[in-house]
Amino acid sequence: MRSHRAGRPTRWLRATALGVAAAAALTACGIAGASESSVASKERLVIGVNADQPGLGLKTGGGYRGFDVEIAKQIARFMKVTDVEFKTITSATREKVLRDGEVDLVVGSYSITPERKTEVAFAGPYYVTHQSILVRAADAARVKTVHDLAGRRVCMVPRSVSFPRVQKERGVPALPVEASGYNDCLTKLVSKQLDAVSTDDLILAGLFAKNATDGGPALTLVKTSFSDEPYGVGIKQGDVDGCEAVNKAITRMYQQGIPAKLLQAQFGSSGLEFTKTVPQFEGCE
Amino acid sequence: MTAVQQQGGAPPAPVPAPQGGPPAPPGGVRPGLADVRARAAAMPPRKGVRRAIPRTNSGRIRAFVAGVVVVLVALLLLAWNGVDDARTGVRVIDTAGPQVIATGDLYFRLTDMDAQLAHALLVGTQPAHQADRAQALARYDASRSKADEALIQAARLARDGTERQTARSLLDSLGRYEQLAGKALLQDQNSPHAAGPPSDQVTKMYRSATDMMKLELLPQAYNLTLDNGTIVRHTYEDKRSAVLTGRTVVVVTGLVLLVLLAGFQWSMAKRFRRLLNLPLALTTVAVVVVVAWTAAMLGSQASALSKAKTDGFDSILALARARAIGNSAQADQTRFLLDPERKDTYEQVFLSKSQTVLYLPADNLTGYQDAVRGLKGLKTQRDDKPILGFLGTEGRRPSSDAKALDDVLAGFKKFQQNDRQMRDLVSSGDRGQAITLQTGQAATDYAAYDQSLVKLAAVHQATFDGAMKDGKGGTKGWQYGLPLAGLAVVLLLVVGVRPRLAEYR
Repeated sequence: MRSHRAGRPTRWLRATALGVAAAAALTACGIAGASESSVASKERLVIGVNADQPGLGLKTGGGYRGFDVEIAKQIARFMKVTDVEFKTITSATREKVLRDGEVDLVVGSYSITPERKTEVAFAGPYYVTHQSILVRAADAARVKTVHDLAGRRVCMVPRSVSFPRVQKERGVPALPVEASGYNDCLTKLVSKQLDAVSTDDLILAGLFAKNATDGGPALTLVKTSFSDEPYGVGIKQGDVDGCEAVNKAITRMYQQGIPAKLLQAQFGSSGLEFTKTVPQFEGCE
Repeated sequence: MTAVQQQGGAPPAPVPAPQGGPPAPPGGVRPGLADVRARAAAMPPRKGVRRAIPRTNSGRIRAFVAGVVVVLVALLLLAWNGVDDARTGVRVIDTAGPQVIATGDLYFRLTDMDAQLAHALLVGTQPAHQADRAQALARYDASRSKADEALIQAARLARDGTERQTARSLLDSLGRYEQLAGKALLQDQNSPHAAGPPSDQVTKMYRSATDMMKLELLPQAYNLTLDNGTIVRHTYEDKRSAVLTGRTVVVVTGLVLLVLLAGFQWSMAKRFRRLLNLPLALTTVAVVVVVAWTAAMLGSQASALSKAKTDGFDSILALARARAIGNSAQADQTRFLLDPERKDTYEQVFLSKSQTVLYLPADNLTGYQDAVRGLKGLKTQRDDKPILGFLGTEGRRPSSDAKALDDVLAGFKKFQQNDRQMRDLVSSGDRGQAITLQTGQAATDYAAYDQSLVKLAAVHQATFDGAMKDGKGGTKGWQYGLPLAGLAVVLLLVVGVRPRLAEYR
């Protein structure tokens, strides 16, 4: 009788232990974490940049250099990523490489537009450029606004929105001279095959600095600011966490005054004025 | 007679488990028990998991009961966890949602300050426009005070050092902006002019003020409200998925419990030769009810969260932004008249802001305005060619009110039509007429458009409030209901097994 009484609690205990083990196994099945593929949680980033844009993204023997490249490095730094690989992208491939996951981010003079937003998502912008005009110094006195381009030979790069902005948006009857890219525009401007190059001021400032380094004839950058071009950070559509993390990195970067220094270093020689404060973000949703 | 008695004296046989039938009627003597014990002692020690399997009938019953109770407790805890997730989700969205929307107001108020300043400087100081100027200045003051309020709210929602620094920087810039604005107004007062561009000095001062607004204040205000908005998004995503996972886990646990109960029932039926243990059957029914009820409640909580977020909050926020950006575009019209030297820039940003609100592809402003005029409606969009921009997105929301949406589109069309007329007047050299239009009829029309946006947002606000009410009501009383349901199940279980266990005493 006594032994029986003593045995009862242990038997209940054993039965309970059995149940707890079963319940624990059950709960373990319930908590299966979904794997995250967001840029926000990556330890290594592949960033797409331009390879042929002086001052912004230029591939030289030693690697990539320019404002976009430096911004990309800073974004990675503020996202606490030390392992960064750069890849060359072009305006024709950037949506595809983002979608396919070949690159995690694109930082390459990539203007945010409503149409592009249907294909990829954008963090940032990290800088807002304005369309300006680059002319030979001798013509500077006669070109003060976009309207002064009427009747002048202006560089036109196929697929770029810059020339249509002058001709169609502003309605200025400029004469188009086709070029393969903005480097080609510079060559043609210097050799007097055309009179003006009009596009984003940072691209112009890069050309200006390149020309100075190459020892070309004196040029003048005319600040006209007749458009806002927000340069965004391309990111795979749907990666809202990644987009927010990039925005946070850009905010921190500006709070520490880093972009102003980078801009001064890359484009200071052109006499362009820079915005030192964080641009208005597009929003990640 | 019984298997136990037959096997009682038999040598340890490789019988996996005792075949227990009901022993002799309960009394002081329990012959079966001693036999079973003796046999158990005589059996070779079992190894591994098998050791945990009880070998006696009473042990088996206890194991089943304990198992049922443990799984039941687990079920109740998991259900409670789901209820808690749902409640947290509803609570956070219910408080943070309106706060975030209030901070979204910051951007609107700031653009309105700059718009009113431009308006006051444009109409000038002559007696004919005294009332207009005074009204603009009164609105400037009202917006400033609302902006301060919204900024404090936004600063309170800041979650980390970066966001707090943005809020501080905003406060600082706002102070400097007000200083510049005050100087420009004073200088303008001292150099009277007719309606139209003020003196060069005033124009310069206004430029510093408006540049500061555009480059420092507005971006930071916008970014801060975007940051604030992430609180709602994160809570929504985390809690909604937690509630749905909770529902699945509750259902699975419930099924396990039902299997256990069925096994118990079967084993009792087999060993005690009773087809149905009624209290045990009732226990099973009670569990089914609890699980089904909990699952249904968690499902409706998830859909309340989803409704509040996507049909309510997202729309309200998007419309608040559309309102702010539209207001700023309207100010660009005033600036276009105020500062002719920058007219190209102001015209381009007017187009770009209009496209942010309602995107239609176009080469220039004229082309855009033609496209807007030709637009039939926002609700009927082609799937392959959706209309972009805030209003386009709003049009695609199934929850959007068709009538309110039509009013908004009509107002927007009027806004663009007035703009065309105003710019045509300027091109034909009639700046005075253009200013009269801009500060008169066009301003009235714009106010009507703005009100139509407010009305559309009110529809979504009602959806949000309704979903939050459902969310709060859905989990009411569950903190009592769940333990009571658990208690009822346990009681039924005890009623069901007690007589059986008593047979072994």
